[in-house]
Amino acid sequence: MGKFKYIFVFGFLPLVMTGCATCPTDPAEAELYHQTNDPLEPMNRGIFAFNQMAEGAILRPIAKGYRFIMPELVRNSIANFFDNLKQPVYFANALLQGEFKSAGAILGRFTLNTIWGVGGLFDIATEANIPNPENDFGQTLAKWGWRGDGGPYLMLPILGPSDVRDGIGRGVDALAEPATWLVEPEVWYTGWAVNNINAYANNIDLLENLEKSSADYYAALRTMYRQNRAKKINSVIDSTETTEEKAPAYEADFSDIDWEDE
Amino acid sequence: MKKLTALICAMMLSVSVMAAQNPAISFVDDLADDIISNVLTAEVTPEQKLETFRAAFTKAVDLKSVGQFVLGVYWRKANDADKQEFLDAFTEFTTKTWADRFDMYHGQDILFTGVRNAERNQYYVDSQIQDKEPVEVIWRLRQKGDSYKIIDIIVEGVSMAMSYRNEYSAVLQQNGGNVKALAEELRKKSAAFDNQNKK
Repeated sequence: MGKFKYIFVFGFLPLVMTGCATCPTDPAEAELYHQTNDPLEPMNRGIFAFNQMAEGAILRPIAKGYRFIMPELVRNSIANFFDNLKQPVYFANALLQGEFKSAGAILGRFTLNTIWGVGGLFDIATEANIPNPENDFGQTLAKWGWRGDGGPYLMLPILGPSDVRDGIGRGVDALAEPATWLVEPEVWYTGWAVNNINAYANNIDLLENLEKSSADYYAALRTMYRQNRAKKINSVIDSTETTEEKAPAYEADFSDIDWEDE
Repeated sequence: MKKLTALICAMMLSVSVMAAQNPAISFVDDLADDIISNVLTAEVTPEQKLETFRAAFTKAVDLKSVGQFVLGVYWRKANDADKQEFLDAFTEFTTKTWADRFDMYHGQDILFTGVRNAERNQYYVDSQIQDKEPVEVIWRLRQKGDSYKIIDIIVEGVSMAMSYRNEYSAVLQQNGGNVKALAEELRKKSAAFDNQNKK
C-alpha cells in the first residue's frame, strides 16, 4: 500500500494552494504560467531530479538487460496481460462517465482477450479493430464537474507526470483494481515492477529521443503531459459545452506570424 | 470477421480514393512515401540518409515560421542576428530529432482519415499510424501557391509547435530572455545526436 501514501500526500496538499496570488504581468511569463499551472515547480523539479536519478541508476540498466534477454513477442504479451487487467477499472469508469459506447468496447475487448487471448496474453481485440479507450478516474472527475486543466501540475515520485485531478484519479483507479485486493502484496509489487520494467523496455528508444531532443526535459514533459491529457479529458466532455469549460485547448495560434508570402 | 474485413477493405479503398482527390492529403502521402523509400529503406550510408532527410524535411516544413512561433514574444525582442542564429540552430536540431524519430519507423501503415479546413489557407490532414494500436497524427498545413508547407504535427493531442514554444519559454524565462544562449544550447544538443550515430 506504500505507494498510495504518496499520491494522497502530494495529491491533496496543493488543493489549498490553487488560485493566482502572484500572477506574472509580463505577457510571456503569464502565458507560460497559465498553460503550465505549476506553482509547485521547485518541489516538482526536485522530485523529477530524484526520478531521473532512479531511472538512470536502476530502471534503465535493468530495462536494457531485460530487453536484450526478452524477445519482443514475450514483451508484447506481458504488456497485453497487464493492460487486460486494467480493463475492469476502465469499464467502471466508462459507466460512471455515461460513455456507454466505450463501456461496450471495453467489455468486448476484455471478454475477447481473456477467453481467446489466453488470459490477456494476446491482444486479439486490437487486431479486430476494437478500440482501447482506457477510461480513467481522472476523466470521471472531469465529467462530474471538475473542469479545466486539473489543477496544479504534479511530478509524482517514481510514477511521473500528473496533476491534482489525475493524481487522485490514479490513486482511485489503483485502489479499485481487482488485483490490488485479490493477490498477496509480494505478488502485487512483483507484478507492478515487471509491468513497469516491461513498459520502459518497450519505449526506451522513444524516451531517449525525447530526453535528447529537449533543452529542458522537465518543461518538455510537462507540456506534453498537459496537452495529451487535455485531449483525453475533452474526449469524454460533451461537444456541446463551451470551450471555457473544457480543458485548455493547446492548438497553436499562428495569427502573429509574418508569413514570407504575405 | 468477414464483414469486418470487408469494412476495412472498403475503408482503405475510400482512403486511397480520397488521397488521390485531395491535394493536401497527397502532399503528406507523397512526403511520407519519399522519406520511407529514399531514407528509411534506402541502402546508403547513415550520413547520406541524414542529408536526404534534411533536404526533404526542410523543404516540407516551414521552419522559419515555426521558429518564429516557437519563440513567441521573445521573437520580437530579439535582434536579427540572434533570430537567424536561433533559426539555424532550431533547423539543425529539429532535423536531427525528427530523423531519429523517423528511424523508429518499422513499416507501419499510415491511414489518411480526412482533411479539414483550419482557416483561410490552412488545413488539418488527419491520419493514423497503424502501430500496435493506432496513433493519431494530425498534419497542419499551410497552402503556399500551389504547394503546401507543414506548420505543425500533432501526435495524440501533443502539438510540436506548442511543445517547443512552451519548453523554450521556460528556458528563456530562466535565462532572462537570452535567445542566443538558447541557440547555443540547441547546437550542443544537436551534437549529441551525431555522437549517437557514430557508435
